[in-house]
Amino acid sequence: MSTTSRDDLRSSNLNPSSQGFTLWSDARTYRVAGQVIGVALVILLIWRLTNNLFSNLDRLNISRNFDFLTQPTNFAIAENWGFDTSLPRWRMLLIGLQNTILAAGGGIVLATILGTIVGIARLSSNWLVSKISTFYVETLRNIPPLVVIIFFSIAVFSSGPFPVFREATELKLPFSDSNWLILSNSRIGFPSFSAERNISAFWLLFAMTFLFAACMWAWRTVKSSKTGVPHRRVQWSLGVFVVLLVLWFFLLNGPYDWSWPSRTENGRRLASGFGTSAAYLSVTLAIAIYTASHIAEIVRGAILAIHKGQGEAATSLSLSSYQRYRFVILPQAFRRIIPNLINQYLNLTKNTSLAVAVGYAELASLTQTSIGNGAPAPQSILLMMCGYLGLSLIVSLIANVVNRSLRLKDR
Amino acid sequence: MRSNRVKLFAVLACVLGLVAVACSSDSGNDTDDNQQDTASLLDEVRDRDQLICGTRDDLTGFAQKNSEGEFEGFDVEFCKVIAAGILGDATKVEFKALGPERFTSVQAGEVDILFRNATATASRDGREGLAFPFTTVYDGQRMMVSGDSDITSLDDMDGASICVVQGTTTELNLNAVLGARGISFNPVLYSSHTELREAYQAGLCEGYTADGSALFVYKFTSEQAGGPQQRILDEVMSKEPLGAVIADGDSKWEQAVTWVMRATIQAWEFGLDSTNINSYSGNDVNILNFLGRNDFDPGLGLDRDFAINVVDQVGNYKEIYDRTLGATGLIMEGSYNRLWSDGGLHYAPPYR
Repeated sequence: MSTTSRDDLRSSNLNPSSQGFTLWSDARTYRVAGQVIGVALVILLIWRLTNNLFSNLDRLNISRNFDFLTQPTNFAIAENWGFDTSLPRWRMLLIGLQNTILAAGGGIVLATILGTIVGIARLSSNWLVSKISTFYVETLRNIPPLVVIIFFSIAVFSSGPFPVFREATELKLPFSDSNWLILSNSRIGFPSFSAERNISAFWLLFAMTFLFAACMWAWRTVKSSKTGVPHRRVQWSLGVFVVLLVLWFFLLNGPYDWSWPSRTENGRRLASGFGTSAAYLSVTLAIAIYTASHIAEIVRGAILAIHKGQGEAATSLSLSSYQRYRFVILPQAFRRIIPNLINQYLNLTKNTSLAVAVGYAELASLTQTSIGNGAPAPQSILLMMCGYLGLSLIVSLIANVVNRSLRLKDR
Repeated sequence: MRSNRVKLFAVLACVLGLVAVACSSDSGNDTDDNQQDTASLLDEVRDRDQLICGTRDDLTGFAQKNSEGEFEGFDVEFCKVIAAGILGDATKVEFKALGPERFTSVQAGEVDILFRNATATASRDGREGLAFPFTTVYDGQRMMVSGDSDITSLDDMDGASICVVQGTTTELNLNAVLGARGISFNPVLYSSHTELREAYQAGLCEGYTADGSALFVYKFTSEQAGGPQQRILDEVMSKEPLGAVIADGDSKWEQAVTWVMRATIQAWEFGLDSTNINSYSGNDVNILNFLGRNDFDPGLGLDRDFAINVVDQVGNYKEIYDRTLGATGLIMEGSYNRLWSDGGLHYAPPYR
């Protein structure tokens, strides 16, 4: 926008009174005409391609509508969340989207934590720590993510140290018969919670406690800015929240109980607890570890970009190493990290489609299955593209909101 | 600001695409209703002087790459049959190894014909715009388990993990058959048999389901190589007529390839094979017609001596079968893949 206004200024300076001025002697005419022709060509190209697609689909008698979405799925899927195979295809695709989100979400959280730690560790004055981080970054960054995923799937799980599910390793709790972990090369069982009693009352109290803790936060903030005493709002509100929650938990006679993982009698499935497939873990861990190597470099770069004087000033105020990072360096580094981080998150989300290789039932894999089982390819691919586009836009929207709230404000 | 606009544009384009495809679904149908002015694929293949044949590279017996990197197997031989019959030279084939997107490649004209042990079904024939001119192998879906497994029938498989290739009729049958018996299972899906076998060998799944032919070949070759014993359950879960796939709506191409493939059956029935077809000296009019000696031309758009080229360069059906599937442990005896006169299903309409 700024360029246009400058152009306007310049051209009006050249032709102050528009004397001897023709349309053809104005550079703007050519610029506008060029853009119009460009847009027209693009539209023409899209129109041609679409027409070509349609006439070919008609010639082959392939349907052009989306009716297939309402037909029953008729094939089973792996990470199905209780999916009934007689449900329509669009429900099946939603499960695929859900599995993609689970892999991407898990990957983003893990990659961020790991990446930040490695990035800071690379700047450590401890020789061993910094060399190990350098080695990690330089190796992982230079391996294609697909290879990392297949490595996890084959070397860590399927041919790795774990037994098959029927002979799974069960790790027992001390002084008890329950397991806290079931390890196998296809499924891993974790403890989960089972709802026992007074659930709605518990969640009502949970919400109220949360509100109360939020008020506490606001009160400490206001008090601190008025009187100058340290606000300690994290300690205050978190403390109140946890103490009250524990209190409610016991007053309500334990609304939730542990559900320790166990297997059915024939040893073929989990009877209790929460099970995750090796495919999910391979994909999530692999893309997290891969992306973390990129995030580590972003974090390191952002920290190095902060003027040396900032750190020295912090040291001269006799701040500890932790305080120097927490209050001086990281808050400034964060602003530089976020925009690059968005790109990494988007890459990670898109990389989940590589899970096709290890049989994880995410969007790309289920679309492929669906096409093989009678869904028309152009429509299916279009839907899949829209799915990934939507997901990427949501990720970047969230990250942009965070970015806006963190960036330097002009006062 | 600018990046937001680009995003907005992307979303709009996406939505417009959806709307365009959805809206136009009814409009165009009556105007250009399969009126083909374009030349047949038959002429195109002849002009190109090469057949592009879709197949696979992961299934021993049917189609895989050998140590020299050449494609070999039953389906590969049938690609050569088509090339010999139409171009007169069995070596004029370009092979393309395809994955689960195999039918899209046929629809898009990326391959002229597909031999990738694909099952003929109604919806593939109808909705997907494909045609199935000829069945090369009559097969049925089976289940394989490890030799020391306690599973003796499908009913023992409740809760078991089962390996299956994604996007296949195998997947649909498995769901239908086990669903009807009230057995719930955990599917393990991969896009190729290579990956699936690794998963099966690693114990990620207790059962491995596929067409019986593929399982028998796997059992034979892996046990020959000293692998663990396998057991194939008795239950046959489906009918799987495997064969050639082409795109719908090109009858000239369809009848040409159909009769080329039928020639392998007809030669078998006549007792002609690659060793004796060139030296036939009898006076059976049917055979002489078949060999194109009497100036007989049924008008299929094929050379008169196409059958000689096919059988001489590749072989009759039995020769092809014995050389590929037979050599990897799939016995023809007792299966449907015998001549009709011998209790099988292979039957070619008369060539006259």
